[in-house]
Amino acid sequence: MRFRAWYWVGLVAALMVVAMIAVARGAVSVSLAGVIDALYGRGDATAIAIVRDLRLPRVVLGALVGAGLGASGAALQGALRNPLAEPYLLGVSGGAAVGAVVAFALGVSGDAVITLAAFVGGIGAVFLALAVARVGGRGTRADVRTLLIAGVVVGAFANAAIMVALARAEPNTVRGALWWMMGSAADATWRRVAWLAASIAVAGGALVYWAREIDVLSLGEDTAASLGVDAERAGRRAFLLAALLAAATVSAAGLIGFVGLVVPHIARRMGLRAHRPLIVAAALIGATLVVAADLAARTVAAPTELPLGAITALLGVPFFLVQLRRTS
Amino acid sequence: MIELKDLVVSYPGARLNAVDGVSFVGARGKLTALAGPNGSGKSSIVKALLRRAEVTRGSAAIDGRDVRLVPYPELARIVAVVPQREEATFPVQVREYVFLGRYPHLGLWRAPSREDELAVDEALSQAGVEDLAARDTDALSGGEWQRVRIARALAQKCPTLVLDEPTTFLDVAHEMAIFELMSSLARSGLAVLLVSHQLNLVARFADTIVLLDRGKVATTGSPSDVMRADTLESIYGWPVVITRDPAVGAPALVPLRRPVRL
Amino acid sequence: MIFSHRSFRILVGCALALAACEQPRTQVAVQSDDFGDPVRIGQPPTRIVSLNPVTTEMLFAFGAGSRLVGRSQFDLWPDSARRVPDLGNGLQPNVEIVLGAHPDLVILYASQDNRPAAARFRAAGVSTLSLRTDHIADFRRTVQMLGAILRDSARARAVSDSVFRTLGRVRAATTNLPRPTVFWHIWDAPLITIGAGSFMTELVDIAGGKNVYADITGPSATVSLEDVARRDPDFILAGPQGVQKISEDRRWRIVRAVREGKVLKVDTVLVGRPGVRLGEAAVSLANLLHPGTLH
Repeated sequence: MRFRAWYWVGLVAALMVVAMIAVARGAVSVSLAGVIDALYGRGDATAIAIVRDLRLPRVVLGALVGAGLGASGAALQGALRNPLAEPYLLGVSGGAAVGAVVAFALGVSGDAVITLAAFVGGIGAVFLALAVARVGGRGTRADVRTLLIAGVVVGAFANAAIMVALARAEPNTVRGALWWMMGSAADATWRRVAWLAASIAVAGGALVYWAREIDVLSLGEDTAASLGVDAERAGRRAFLLAALLAAATVSAAGLIGFVGLVVPHIARRMGLRAHRPLIVAAALIGATLVVAADLAARTVAAPTELPLGAITALLGVPFFLVQLRRTS
Repeated sequence: MIELKDLVVSYPGARLNAVDGVSFVGARGKLTALAGPNGSGKSSIVKALLRRAEVTRGSAAIDGRDVRLVPYPELARIVAVVPQREEATFPVQVREYVFLGRYPHLGLWRAPSREDELAVDEALSQAGVEDLAARDTDALSGGEWQRVRIARALAQKCPTLVLDEPTTFLDVAHEMAIFELMSSLARSGLAVLLVSHQLNLVARFADTIVLLDRGKVATTGSPSDVMRADTLESIYGWPVVITRDPAVGAPALVPLRRPVRL
Repeated sequence: MIFSHRSFRILVGCALALAACEQPRTQVAVQSDDFGDPVRIGQPPTRIVSLNPVTTEMLFAFGAGSRLVGRSQFDLWPDSARRVPDLGNGLQPNVEIVLGAHPDLVILYASQDNRPAAARFRAAGVSTLSLRTDHIADFRRTVQMLGAILRDSARARAVSDSVFRTLGRVRAATTNLPRPTVFWHIWDAPLITIGAGSFMTELVDIAGGKNVYADITGPSATVSLEDVARRDPDFILAGPQGVQKISEDRRWRIVRAVREGKVLKVDTVLVGRPGVRLGEAAVSLANLLHPGTLH
């Protein structure tokens, strides 16, 4: 397939449509006209409150999470030259979960604190992975393979830490921590949305800025060097930016798997190759996907709300089936 | 022009130097070949030019500028390297791929200009792959992929070109095509450095051969000077005979069969 | 014939006396606890570990608090309960620590989590009693069971009667009043409330209210904020932490009860378990929902 310019319009339109439906649907029925009224502050007080304070921030949060994960996955797959790379490599998810679980176990209840703890944990894990790679690998340079293994090491350590923390914790702490880890856009407040938007603007913007470097990186380290790109430095830069995005999304909405893995493939199937448009398209597709998944999480088993991470995990099934058919 | 002066390259943790005091000159307009057994340091020299191996002593210079002192992006504008291995993880269109060769000139944000388009067109035709421009890189044969890679290096429009084992896995037709290409490129004014273990082809096409042995220069000179049975036998550790081929009169190496001990 | 009249009477007398002597030791009134395991009622236990706040407070109500050698970390009423050694979790308890207190009776909450622990206590030869304490009817059964075990059925009856009298009084007082709907906030992330399977719904009913989630059959459920807004409860009941979270979070304002300031704080230790203070719990709820109706 060759990507055509008007596809961009289609991608944006799809996101808008899904977002509008997501804002309109829920336990309380609000018609599309009612949504528009509520946005303008007209009509029933409850409907206004529901649309503005509950659904809109939730939809925006979901879209930002999807955008961040999509962009992160696209960048990582290019920089690591691996179509199965995804944003939670390098221990980001494990580290963020440790941060959040420790905060829960300490009895901290403030919303902002848990978000911050998760973010610090996620970024800390990445730096730990870089350090492990530097020490464990040969010399002072950390190449791709070493980084990947270092990430697995950090992730394993994080899992162990989480299990220990939860084993010693009170039932309420365990419940809260598990709920957080399963991923949810339910705790969307405008403050959280603003924080996530800022992180994604900064890290995502930087990725788009350096996108051509990733094009070159994806040819291999020697070839990249022959084109004037310091593979280690550029690779580290891409990892850190991708990890920042991933950590920001995890701290805002818990662990949402498979989006960062699948979305770049969809964008590539649409005909995009160069990483600048690829990252942007992956962000749009990711946003649409997560908003749709959140809608499903809210409505499929009402009144119970399913964890968002569970719905996105279902994405993994068709994806890997397709991969299986491709390789065999 | 490539100039190596007593270049010493070592890898961390290795006992011996990979390159142990190598000097030679790859002049403009000439095809210089770097040959020698496996592990003699040929690829390490290429890596040193790419700054992916550490130069502990001596220097490697392109057009008089030490590679360690030239900023990375600028280095890619004065020397184009086609490394031994390249992974094409995600297929792209051949033309887009060759366009990546313009990255040292375009950088992160500049939009391609007429000049860039021309450079890509020229590179495609020089490498003889214009017909493949619209194909995807994962739909190419081994020989086509090699030529496309060379096209990418040519698109960089550098005065110096380095190729590391460009004819591995290629059949005779493609091999000859590539050697002809390199010869004509040298003739057109580029300094071409070719790393190859195909001694016979090298002997036919190269102007100068630099023969390495365990990190040092064993001998250097024209093909006739270098292709001597005693030298080659001691370097390669295998009995050989040097003859002149009847077709074009170039020196040719014929390895002898060792008696099998029963 | 051989038995003269007098020796026959002596024989019968001895047999009866023997039977009477043996009774305290071998009388086996076998019932089943809520795991289906047999409960042997013999000598009253003197070293009791109670890993369930309901049974802990019941034991104190029976005046048997001094027999407690261990409690769960959540058993905090009455105050004297705090002096009983805290043996940790009531769910999946640390078996070794409990056995280290050398109990002759261990009382567990009959949740599936505790099956392995119950089996291990039995295997160690310690009498184990696993009781479900979810409904008000469970309270009556538990009181009777404990009364039988402690050989103080009279006290058991007294406690039980007192509670049910109070409950009856409250129900009578509220039965003709308009019935407000109630949402009981248990936990906020995820948002958890109680269903028909919990005694708390029964309490709300007795206190003259109606749980908006009474249609859920289980004891609890995870719900969404929007759904709560849709069900539009007249009041919200929450513990101190819950009340704070609701006041801090703007999004709760989509619920009318929050906008109208009808978020009522409950004492979770009092109303959180179907124990001997059920009566007081009902009274406190009734006072919240229908102020001034009771004294």
